Amino acid sequence: MKKLFTITIFTVLSVYGYSQTQMIDSLKEVIEKHEGKINALDERVLVNETDLGKLNKIKISGYIQAQWENWGKDLVKTNEPDNSFFIRRARVKFTYEALDGVKFVLQPDFSTGNLTLQDAYAVVNIPKLKDFGIWAGQFDRPNYEVEYSSGQIEVLDRSRVIKAIYPKEKEIGVKFEYNGSTIPLKFQLMAMNGNYTGKEAKDVDSKKDLMGRVVYSFKLPDAGLGINIGANGYLGGNRAKTNPYITNSMGIADSITVGDYLEKKWAGAEMQIFADFLGGMAIKGEYMAGVNSTPSTIASTATMTQKKSDPNKIKNFSGYYLYLIKNIGRKNQFVARYDFYDPNTKLSGDAADNDIFYKTLTVSWQHYLNDNIRISLYYEMPKNETNAAYPSDLKDNVLAVRVQAKF
Amino acid sequence: MKNTEIFPIMLLTVILASATGFSQAKITVKGSDTMVILSQKWAELYMKKNPAVSVQVTGGGSGVGITALINGTTDICNSSRPMKQSEIEKLRDRYNTLGVKIPCAKDGITIFLNEANKVQELTIKQLSDIYQGKVTNWKEVGGNDAEIRVYGRENSSGTYVYFHDEVVKADYAATVQSLPGTAAVVNAVKKDVNGIGYGGAAYAVGVKHAKVKKDANSTSFLPTAESIGKGEYPITRYLYMYLRNRPTGETKKYIDWILSAEGQMVTTEVGYFPYK
Repeated sequence: MKKLFTITIFTVLSVYGYSQTQMIDSLKEVIEKHEGKINALDERVLVNETDLGKLNKIKISGYIQAQWENWGKDLVKTNEPDNSFFIRRARVKFTYEALDGVKFVLQPDFSTGNLTLQDAYAVVNIPKLKDFGIWAGQFDRPNYEVEYSSGQIEVLDRSRVIKAIYPKEKEIGVKFEYNGSTIPLKFQLMAMNGNYTGKEAKDVDSKKDLMGRVVYSFKLPDAGLGINIGANGYLGGNRAKTNPYITNSMGIADSITVGDYLEKKWAGAEMQIFADFLGGMAIKGEYMAGVNSTPSTIASTATMTQKKSDPNKIKNFSGYYLYLIKNIGRKNQFVARYDFYDPNTKLSGDAADNDIFYKTLTVSWQHYLNDNIRISLYYEMPKNETNAAYPSDLKDNVLAVRVQAKF
Repeated sequence: MKNTEIFPIMLLTVILASATGFSQAKITVKGSDTMVILSQKWAELYMKKNPAVSVQVTGGGSGVGITALINGTTDICNSSRPMKQSEIEKLRDRYNTLGVKIPCAKDGITIFLNEANKVQELTIKQLSDIYQGKVTNWKEVGGNDAEIRVYGRENSSGTYVYFHDEVVKADYAATVQSLPGTAAVVNAVKKDVNGIGYGGAAYAVGVKHAKVKKDANSTSFLPTAESIGKGEYPITRYLYMYLRNRPTGETKKYIDWILSAEGQMVTTEVGYFPYK
């Protein structure tokens, strides 16, 4: 009996031991299996993270400006409306940051009746010299008001002089830029085609135009002041391709050789003052003067009489703008801008004919509804020089309301 | 109405409107995760002393705080890195001020290693190589023959940016695992024998600190009050508060208190160091 009991105990223990070993083995197997699964998941997460990292390099931003404008009667043609709703801007900006310091940007504009390519450029920051960058492609000309985004500008549009000498803001070319991180100095030098109108993609002559800008920034933190002062210049020309006739700044007709270059050169000075005064205030101004030229676009097959009536033009011009921007609390801004543009400084009165000067006062109120929506009210009041061609101040005031949504 | 008449009237309206509506009873603070513990402690003590004032602190990272400052959704932004030029320009374009930078504490970015790791010290170059993925095995820096597992912060973190700009100075390797907050980095290194991470000293519980030296010939330092105070520890940085405008009213009182001896005592209590 005792023997039987011992055998039974031994058998039970053996079976128990065997089953325990089996259980441990099976648990080990389960753990290994799950460990394998976790490792596989880890690897998949890593792969997904790498893929997501690539997506993080793409940034999509943009803004839409829906606007209503009411125009003074001298801006309205017969039987045309004196007011309209329209989409002023509808831009989407794609930025791909390929590597640290290497960026590609593409920005089309889908505004009413206008599908255009606004920006298409690459920026490369020189390795180990991060303050230096090289831009290539189509982008803003290096000028303060031009580079100040349309999505941020506090008035209806850029000032008259800037629109005249930098039409459509953009140019195609190469820019070298130094933006000092230790010295508060910005330097920009751009070589460009010099004939960008939004339609002409290629240069119309072999010479390239040059544009340079330098800005030094002061900070006076105790006074809550930041001051930027700068100078800029433009040197270039347009080729007279079809017409041997030219009108100079004095309005005198002269002749040149077809193929000659018509001068474009000017210099400017700028200043921006930012003051931490009752919620923030800025005063910004720029003055520029020089010589601008417009080549005749008449066909080479036109008659000499026709060519004489549409000559190449070269004119001395000057202009300036002055902004006062006052933040009212966090959500509101009052803005006043006064700008002046004389397309021909050598002539005035009746002799100026259509080249009359304009002095424009624009006032606006901006309300930031939230991070994305801005509602603006504008009133633009241009005052023109009077002469025989323009005997009185034109009725050309513009009232506008704009709603801007950005993302 | 002539142009000359409308302008002064509007200007007067603006100035009158500007002079009103600036009082604050509630102060919102947003930004750096590194500074959350410190900032909450400041808020807690200040509210105890000033029950009429409510200070609301949230994290999210320095980048998040700076965006909130630009968007007008916070009064104070905590940032463990200086604002970038592009961020200052955004603030300037929106508010026409350059912002106000207030250094409020000092921190040494600590290199976390697992307590079982036999590596004691690392040079800045070695750290850069590890985070760029050029050095992938501990034996290359004096440790065991084991793969280095690298932990870091998300790109909205000021510590991420500071470490990138001052230590790595190149792109982070794709193998760096981004974690949400220094506490998560510490936790990962605590569990991983072959892990390495970085972050504010205040969070380093259950992990060891690696000594750091500028280069192979320099003396190595631990991030202590003395080495950070003297600027000897190579990865020493300021922690900042940023505002849109110079502080006024309750915000000014709160900031003055933070910069006072009493406020600065809190920095050492939570593992940071006074700003001066």
